[in-house]
Amino acid sequence: MKVTLEVKPRQKPHLPIEAEGILPRTFFEGADSLTVFRGNQEIPIGEIFAVTIEGDAGSVDDVEITILGDSSRIKRIGEYMDGGRIHITGDIGMHCGNFMSAGEIVIDGNADAWLGREMRGGTIRCHGNAGDYCAAGYRGEKRGMRGGTIEVFSDAGDFTAETLAGGTVIIHGNAGDLSGVDMKEGNLTIMGDTSRVCANMLGGTAYVNGTVYDMIPTFRKIGQEKVNGEPYTRFSGDIANRGKGTLFIRNYKYLD
Amino acid sequence: MTELLIRNACVIDPLNDICGEVMDIAVRDGKIVESVGSGAEVIDAGGNLTMPGGIDSHTHICGTKVNFGRYMSPEDMRAGRTARQGHMHSTSGYSVPTTYGTSYRYSAMGYTTALEGAMAPLEARHTHEEFTHTPLQDMMANTLFDGNWPIMQAIHDGDIRRAAAIVGWTLSAVKGFAIKLTNPGGTEAWGWGKDVASIRDPVPHFEVTPAEIIRAMIEANEMLNLPHSVHLHCNCLGKPGNHQCTLETFDLVPNANNKRQSLYATHVQFHSYGGSSWRDICSRSEEICRAINSKPQIVIDMGQVMFGKTTTMTADGPMEFNLYRLYHNKWSNHDVELETGSGIIPVYYSRKNLVNSIMWSIGLELALLTDNPWQCILSTDNPNGAPFVKYPEIIALLMSKRYRNEVFETVHPNTEHNVPLAALDRELTWKDIAIMTRGAPAKALGIVDLGKGHLGEGADADIAIYPININETDPATSAEEVIRAFSQTDYTIKRGRVVCRQGTCMVDGKNTTIWVDPHISENYSMDHDPEFAKNFDRYYTVRMSNYPVQEEYIRRNLCIETEAQL
Repeated sequence: MKVTLEVKPRQKPHLPIEAEGILPRTFFEGADSLTVFRGNQEIPIGEIFAVTIEGDAGSVDDVEITILGDSSRIKRIGEYMDGGRIHITGDIGMHCGNFMSAGEIVIDGNADAWLGREMRGGTIRCHGNAGDYCAAGYRGEKRGMRGGTIEVFSDAGDFTAETLAGGTVIIHGNAGDLSGVDMKEGNLTIMGDTSRVCANMLGGTAYVNGTVYDMIPTFRKIGQEKVNGEPYTRFSGDIANRGKGTLFIRNYKYLD
Repeated sequence: MTELLIRNACVIDPLNDICGEVMDIAVRDGKIVESVGSGAEVIDAGGNLTMPGGIDSHTHICGTKVNFGRYMSPEDMRAGRTARQGHMHSTSGYSVPTTYGTSYRYSAMGYTTALEGAMAPLEARHTHEEFTHTPLQDMMANTLFDGNWPIMQAIHDGDIRRAAAIVGWTLSAVKGFAIKLTNPGGTEAWGWGKDVASIRDPVPHFEVTPAEIIRAMIEANEMLNLPHSVHLHCNCLGKPGNHQCTLETFDLVPNANNKRQSLYATHVQFHSYGGSSWRDICSRSEEICRAINSKPQIVIDMGQVMFGKTTTMTADGPMEFNLYRLYHNKWSNHDVELETGSGIIPVYYSRKNLVNSIMWSIGLELALLTDNPWQCILSTDNPNGAPFVKYPEIIALLMSKRYRNEVFETVHPNTEHNVPLAALDRELTWKDIAIMTRGAPAKALGIVDLGKGHLGEGADADIAIYPININETDPATSAEEVIRAFSQTDYTIKRGRVVCRQGTCMVDGKNTTIWVDPHISENYSMDHDPEFAKNFDRYYTVRMSNYPVQEEYIRRNLCIETEAQL
């Protein structure tokens, strides 16, 4: 089943739309009465999107949703997604792929904050930049993302992979401040630069191929080590939190 | 004049010795009366269980501590969300819900009166503001005196009358209801990084012991003729082997009042542990209950623990620090100038954990081993043992041996070697439950004369009608029925109005704050005591004239004026 959702031009395009219903399962089960929220107004999906549905699906994994047009203010697409595929051709708003457990989301443009928050499984690939709290947990919660893969091909914002508790996060560009903060398990790889990486880390493994600025001083330096032929400095910590995490860092600078 | 007639009510009203009688209840202008005219609004109870409105005699739902629990646990607000609807505000939260959330959920369970378990006098305004926004329950506030400097000084000087005068002045200044002692002396010691290890261990700098504080406060309480007794959270909470401390504390209590108990010991579950460490902790509920059964001057509440997520909050600062060292999670620690302190920690009670399973057992054992239900009140020390929404499950556990066994199967397998629960066959009756949730708390709080906790003529028309027929339901075999019935009333009636109908609140509501004002002779009035004023100005960050809570903070209120023997 191919579902195409084209965002209609809106009078006030900056008003966010909450569209947690847009995920393959909804269309697999029949989305005739699907609604979205604009502020506190519940409106039919047809007011925001031109919807075309082609073909049938034998299972939720046969559903592919393509989103066209300016979707940069559409929030919570793919929340609780459990199979199928979503292809976003432009930018996407906040909270895309919250709690996702299976399936695939591909974003050709940029993603706003909270991409793949508290994700359980599946794959998210973002070809542009991701905002703050990419692959993160949520306010007050001890464990964030627990499984699956998030790959960002450009930069990510602050608090990337905050409270990471499983799964794999790969940032091909730079990550913002405090990436991997409070990390507990899982793998975080940052190809570019970041700062104050993995503060308060308890467990898991992180690689930084660029430079870490304002390196946290409470990591114990283990020594030089080669991983896949690449040279890294290996750290263990965060000992301020009795942590047993492992950091592999190419270059680092402590705060002056 | 508004009139209401409840027909076909199967009434259990322990204070008036009515047990399962099908009768009509007449209500005029918020009070229960002999009869009403033919124009009265009629509710047909259909033979269902009808009781006085529930009273929670120890719960933490309003005030700075509760609010800080909300503040530090945003994850708690993800549960229990409901949208605005009719007269109901939107709500959120599970263990520390918004005030409206608390109020609606209590009301849906038929509760119409609640006592906030601990209010720091200095922070009383916050408590009273939240009372105003807990519209469907009448509220009272226990006022903390566990580490009050001038009182400890007076006790040290052997001047109990002065201690009583300070209590009286403070209660009336902060619009409090009763004396609460939380780990007496211990929280003050915690201000110096210490705790007290027993009731004979002196408080640093004041050289008074918890035992002296407890005894003096019981005496002071009677001098002031307060409706409630001293409300005590014993020392050594949550420490293996603390039953010894609890028993010693119980031995201090004289039988000083013939209308009610002389000591209300709260959440005794947390104070009934044997053993010497977390490895060999066990239940000592049998010894504790033997003491209670032989001492009619003591009333306790259970402090039942139920499995799941919750938030612990208490004025017992050092205990919360010990918990923090166990959990390594978020922790709040707070000092209230020369009065008390507090601590807050979110916890998860797991049935896979032996210690948690033992705690769960002990609470039930206390209720089952206390012979006289008037001496053991149903509570979870909300939210410390569990959120109050678990009460229906506790009722079912107490009423059904079969259900108890089913749950016992699911807890840590070694629990049975450490607790006597499996050997207890007692199943509480409907009347026992009515006593533990209505009659006993009303009597213990001394508010029966105000018309609380019973359905006699002249009583407040606070009534709960539960969707269950007690003649057709055997609670021993139908635990699920019992849980369902106690989770949601058909009607909750407050002051003669239906405030909640099958879980939906029907009115905006307005609560009454009940407080005490002991009349003290000029000689003992703290308003004109130079030493009190001098120390106040020297140590407090507020002026003495700004300390009393203004009338604006308590909207509708009921002041109990007492004549102090001072």
